[in-house]
Amino acid sequence: MIYVIGIDIGSAFSKAVIMSGGKVVSHHVMPSGGNYKLTAEAVVKKALAKVKLSLKDIDYIVATGYGASNATSANEVVSDLSCQGRGIAYLFPSARTVIDIGGQFTKVFRVNEKGKVTAFLQSEKCAAGSGRFLQVIARVLQIDLKDIGELSLKSKNRVDFNTGCAVFAESEAISRVAEGALKEDILAGLHRTLAAKIQSMVERVGLKPDCTVVGGGAKDIGLVSSIEQSLACQLLLPQEPQIVAALGAALLAEAKAVPSRSVTNLKGG
Amino acid sequence: MQYFAGVDIGSTMTKVVIMNQSLLASVIGPTGPEHRKLANRVMEEALKKARLSFKDITYLVATGYGRISVPFADKQITEISCHAKGVAYLLPEARTVLDIGGQDSKGIKLKDGRAVDFVMNDKCAAGTGRFLEVAAEELGVKLEDMGKLSLKAKKAVSISNTCTVFAAQEVVTKLSEGAALPDIIAGLHEAIATRIYGMLRRLKIEREVALTGGGAKNIGLVRALEAKMGFTVVVPPEPLLTGAIGAALLGRNIVKEAEEKGTPLARSKRRLQEATLFT
Repeated sequence: MIYVIGIDIGSAFSKAVIMSGGKVVSHHVMPSGGNYKLTAEAVVKKALAKVKLSLKDIDYIVATGYGASNATSANEVVSDLSCQGRGIAYLFPSARTVIDIGGQFTKVFRVNEKGKVTAFLQSEKCAAGSGRFLQVIARVLQIDLKDIGELSLKSKNRVDFNTGCAVFAESEAISRVAEGALKEDILAGLHRTLAAKIQSMVERVGLKPDCTVVGGGAKDIGLVSSIEQSLACQLLLPQEPQIVAALGAALLAEAKAVPSRSVTNLKGG
Repeated sequence: MQYFAGVDIGSTMTKVVIMNQSLLASVIGPTGPEHRKLANRVMEEALKKARLSFKDITYLVATGYGRISVPFADKQITEISCHAKGVAYLLPEARTVLDIGGQDSKGIKLKDGRAVDFVMNDKCAAGTGRFLEVAAEELGVKLEDMGKLSLKAKKAVSISNTCTVFAAQEVVTKLSEGAALPDIIAGLHEAIATRIYGMLRRLKIEREVALTGGGAKNIGLVRALEAKMGFTVVVPPEPLLTGAIGAALLGRNIVKEAEEKGTPLARSKRRLQEATLFT
């Protein structure tokens, strides 16, 4: 049996996906924390433990993401765009536009039918439009990041924001709280602000259906529906939007491992 | 005797001055969430200092981000005009004004004591006082100590992030890596100076450059900006007051013009005592 692993060390979360015979057999997601090297080991160990495998059983490992160089067990490091493109082509062959809302950056890119990235834009140097924006606001409102989406859907009276800057939005949110605005209405307003920023990125890259949204931000149902409204288009949503890049890395690893079956000893273990 | 008041409600600080021929009284206090109540309180305080009552004030001009929250003002004037006027009065040699506020930064070109062009950043916290405020909090340093501390730096630590949110994170990382506090603060000043200089350069910078706003009270930031520009800047004795002083002076001009033309002066009907009833 051939087993491969894709590891994605992101700025906020680390993910590992184990594949065999073209199917995902295990995956794990955990916070990246302050030591990427330890996290890279731990996330692989956790994913392996779920299927009672050890590193010895693995034929090939591809690492990707912001902290990929810390995954010392990897045979190869591949750019996160290549991995994501590959993961998307596997999950949604019809997807041509991808929005990836990560902890630190938001990326928008176009992919062809082979999963090759043809155009790309990243929210550089600014927390506006990224998952970081939501983290900042979750802290102000004292709610759990994962509860933001559900709560925001209860909003009946959205509070609109005057700023796109995460720092200014923080003070604006505090003022609105002081004025007695409801948390759900503030959240709905922030989703609107984020969605507008993401919409402008999508427009610059050019929207071509189908459009999919991945990354941690895609787990925020309020944000997803806000983006759908902005773009006036339904978004494809993976079951586990955080592991798309790791999945793509595993697929790339499998492509390397399978033809090399006769070569053996790729990993020397 | 005529008395003129200027009220400048900034995003972070509220300033009030009372003038006749010269500055009689000034009050500086933090802007809270309740602008209107605050405007009343600081006005009362300034009147007390000047030993005047509200009816002695001939004309009152409000300016700044919260200027609409001064119901007893006779007129609201933008902070660009007021800063220009204030600087032209205090530092007649100035041709360019750089105002670094708590929530925005502005560059103003002066000609014959009036604003002829300006640039402004209020969209992004980087390049405003807010950047330093967030960083100071992250470092556990008082904002007012940042300037002095940074002068002890041996080698400024380069801060690579522009975004305030990311820079705050970077600062913590640098600290954990063992960088010296003064070196980090000097790096922050360089980062914000680069950003502000980039904005100001969109104007044709002419000497002298006057620095105003809370940022001008930070000696480290002033030095960093001077290093960027390649010459020294001028700073008024109290850099927070230029907007309020300009407002009072513009009020004086309005009264003078009305008197010269013999037209009646349009004044607000709301009095200070009534205004306290507003919430």
